[in-house]
Amino acid sequence: MLEIKDLVTEYGSVKALNGVSLVAHVGKITTVIGANGAGKSTLLRTISALEQPRSGNISWNGKSIVGLSPEKIVRLGIAHVPEGHAVISQLSVEENISMGALFRMRSNKVDVKNAQQEMYQLFPRLEERKNQLAGSLSGGERQMLAISRALVSRPSLLLLDEPSLGLAPLIVEQIIQTINDLCRNTGLTVLLVEQNANTALSVADHGILLSLGSVVADLPAAQMKADVSLRAAYLGY
Amino acid sequence: MSRTRSYGRKNLIISILFAVLIFILSIKLDPYNLGQLAVALMLFIGVLSIVLLTGASGQISLGQGALMAVGGFAAALAILNLGLSIWVAIILAVIAALLAGLLLGIAAARLSGPYLAGTTLVIALAIPSLATRFESVFGGDVGLNINFGNPPAWLSSLMGSVGYEQWQLLATLPFAVLALLFTSNILNSRTGRSWRALRDNEIASSLNGIDISQTKIFVFVISSGFAGLAGVLYGLRGIVGPSVYPISLSLMLLTGAVLGGIRSILGALIGSILVVFLPDVIDSIMKHFSPSEQVANYLPAMISSLLLILTVVLNPGGIAHGLHRTRRHL
Amino acid sequence: MEIFLSAIFSGTSRGAIYALAALGLVLVWRGAGVVNFAQMGQAMFTTYIASTLIGHHYSYWLAFIVALISGGILGAFVDLSVMRPLSRKRSSNFLDSPAMRSTIPVIASLGILGILQSGAGIFWAAEERGFPTPVNSLGLVIGGKTMPFTAFDLFVIGTVFITLVITTYFFKGTGMGLAMRASALNPEVARLSGIKIGSMRTLSWTISGVASSLAGLLVTPSANLSPSTLDLILIIGFTAAVVGGLDSLLGSVIGGFALGLLISFVNVYDTPEDIFLAILVVLLAVLLIRPQGLLGSKEVRRV
Repeated sequence: MLEIKDLVTEYGSVKALNGVSLVAHVGKITTVIGANGAGKSTLLRTISALEQPRSGNISWNGKSIVGLSPEKIVRLGIAHVPEGHAVISQLSVEENISMGALFRMRSNKVDVKNAQQEMYQLFPRLEERKNQLAGSLSGGERQMLAISRALVSRPSLLLLDEPSLGLAPLIVEQIIQTINDLCRNTGLTVLLVEQNANTALSVADHGILLSLGSVVADLPAAQMKADVSLRAAYLGY
Repeated sequence: MSRTRSYGRKNLIISILFAVLIFILSIKLDPYNLGQLAVALMLFIGVLSIVLLTGASGQISLGQGALMAVGGFAAALAILNLGLSIWVAIILAVIAALLAGLLLGIAAARLSGPYLAGTTLVIALAIPSLATRFESVFGGDVGLNINFGNPPAWLSSLMGSVGYEQWQLLATLPFAVLALLFTSNILNSRTGRSWRALRDNEIASSLNGIDISQTKIFVFVISSGFAGLAGVLYGLRGIVGPSVYPISLSLMLLTGAVLGGIRSILGALIGSILVVFLPDVIDSIMKHFSPSEQVANYLPAMISSLLLILTVVLNPGGIAHGLHRTRRHL
Repeated sequence: MEIFLSAIFSGTSRGAIYALAALGLVLVWRGAGVVNFAQMGQAMFTTYIASTLIGHHYSYWLAFIVALISGGILGAFVDLSVMRPLSRKRSSNFLDSPAMRSTIPVIASLGILGILQSGAGIFWAAEERGFPTPVNSLGLVIGGKTMPFTAFDLFVIGTVFITLVITTYFFKGTGMGLAMRASALNPEVARLSGIKIGSMRTLSWTISGVASSLAGLLVTPSANLSPSTLDLILIIGFTAAVVGGLDSLLGSVIGGFALGLLISFVNVYDTPEDIFLAILVVLLAVLLIRPQGLLGSKEVRRV
């Protein structure tokens, strides 16, 4: 279980997160929605230690992970897919995937090979293009690659930042469905950040609405989806 | 506006105090230290060229020594071939350095950081090698002989006998004061602010209507003029030649600027005094330990390099920044 | 024709050395975002170490190996003692603009150069020394005819070729190499993949130190060894790296060979005094006409 308590993160003097508390349960999809600038990305970046919090606590399976380096956090089974289809465009598709498992290479070479194969089963289009440079992929393929790069480390918690950004609805549907299946079949815990509230809430178990760095609603996803006034107030539709 | 004017008055007072202080020293010191102080003032002008360039506008140059050489050679040619007085030659030298700076600035405006550092380093090595290449004009490895000449009669009648070192110092002083006044005024002006804006955020300053490449070229030109002035005074001590303006001179200026405080005029003064007198101080300390010749030769360079690294890692603002902080704490 | 061929051969063998120097610069620039002006100072220092060992009657090869290892150690030491603390010092307002962030490490590297050069002066009295070659450096005689190249030329080209093959394999064929490329290209994604980018930086400095040290060992026989002899190689290496694109390993190697040939031709057909000017002209021409170099990528170039 991921437990966040009173988390405050600042950029200079601007409080991007202003006392955020939330829980993400094991094997469930928890989605964090909110308008631009609500602090969604900062939340994920603070969990994966790309940003250091000013105060508050983050614990994973009962242990605090605040103050650890991003490299350490990956080793604890927390994988982060940052915003903007983060792949390394000058590396090949295959290299991008192997990169995600490099740290396990020495300890479990066989399993790394298997994990890489599983990624190709999950996203067959990547296998066809495995020798191409990641920069030559389409937006959807890049997002699939970014997710594979994270999944190949066999995480137990996946932090997913706006996978739908700039993608066609059909591709978004496919990617979200893949994540959903993975969660239901393997017990992966997912923290999904989305601006596209409808898509996110339709697969999520739980919804958290963030506004200006604070949690304004914390409800079961179905209930949040149905709450028209809440959405009108914070998301504008 | 009135703020600028009050700055202007303050700068003038400081410059006058500075001139008086050096003048008093020029009477008190022995010939060796008079010569050293004159060198420190010449380097002060050179270090100011780095304060303007790197400190204010964020561009780096490892080639200020080459611009000093341009000034030195221009003056030497004017004195030796055209028979001009050193004062006219100094003006011509500054003009020559301004022109060289314009050429360099046009190339440099498109570069930054390590590219600029590397390019100016190559320039620092290439320009003095021209002296060897065109030996008949520039005098080859030996160089050309020029000097400050004899002190004018009115000065001697005013101060009694004026030694050559004393004359070097007194002839350099007005230029150092002018450089100080000019630098402090330009840094407090609108122009200086636009340079700092450029240094801190190129994109934002271009959105605010600052023409980036024009500003960069302008800073380069001004800074080169300072370097040229420093260079001709440095050469007037006796020789203008490749050995007078080696790459180590460029590095010495940079060291002085960083140690003193790359964003501070006071720092430039402290830094230039430091690089000139530190070797003497180390020498006088080491005498008690009777070190081998190689240690005596190389220890000062090692200590100043070490200070340079310690400064950038621990206190990038240099001594002036440290003083400022201490004052605030008091 | 004879002269032309010999210019080609000596240019190639010189170029091989410049390629190593350029490679060393590019490794650290890509891996740590620093152009290391102390690089050939490090090489000078390790060549002095080798020269001292040879002076004490150890074999050339032992000295060779020891110099390479000390080159690696020196590179790592520079990173750990100066560059890493500097890169962590983000809070200082002197480092908060991109202009100063790229300028301050340059100044630090010049300080390191100063320490190495004065250190060599103190340890080795700055005496000019010759440096031996492991093989004959007179014109090679094959079938009674003197060839326009020497055995040492062949040794240099062979050594550099092997180095390039090993380096290429390391970067393209091993996990460590992949990790290094990833941290250089995109530190954030690399960290999120569990790659320890700090260690990768230090590794860049180490490999660069070895490559530079090798360049120093190979170039010194044709110059003499003194604390500042290798300054020229630094600016040639820098120019070669810029010609190649500064962030391209292959580009730097091509740039090195190009510079080697250019300098060799200037030497033979013009006068050695024009070398600096030729370098300056090439450097300015590349920076003004094709700033991304031959193979550099536009988006990565941080000019």
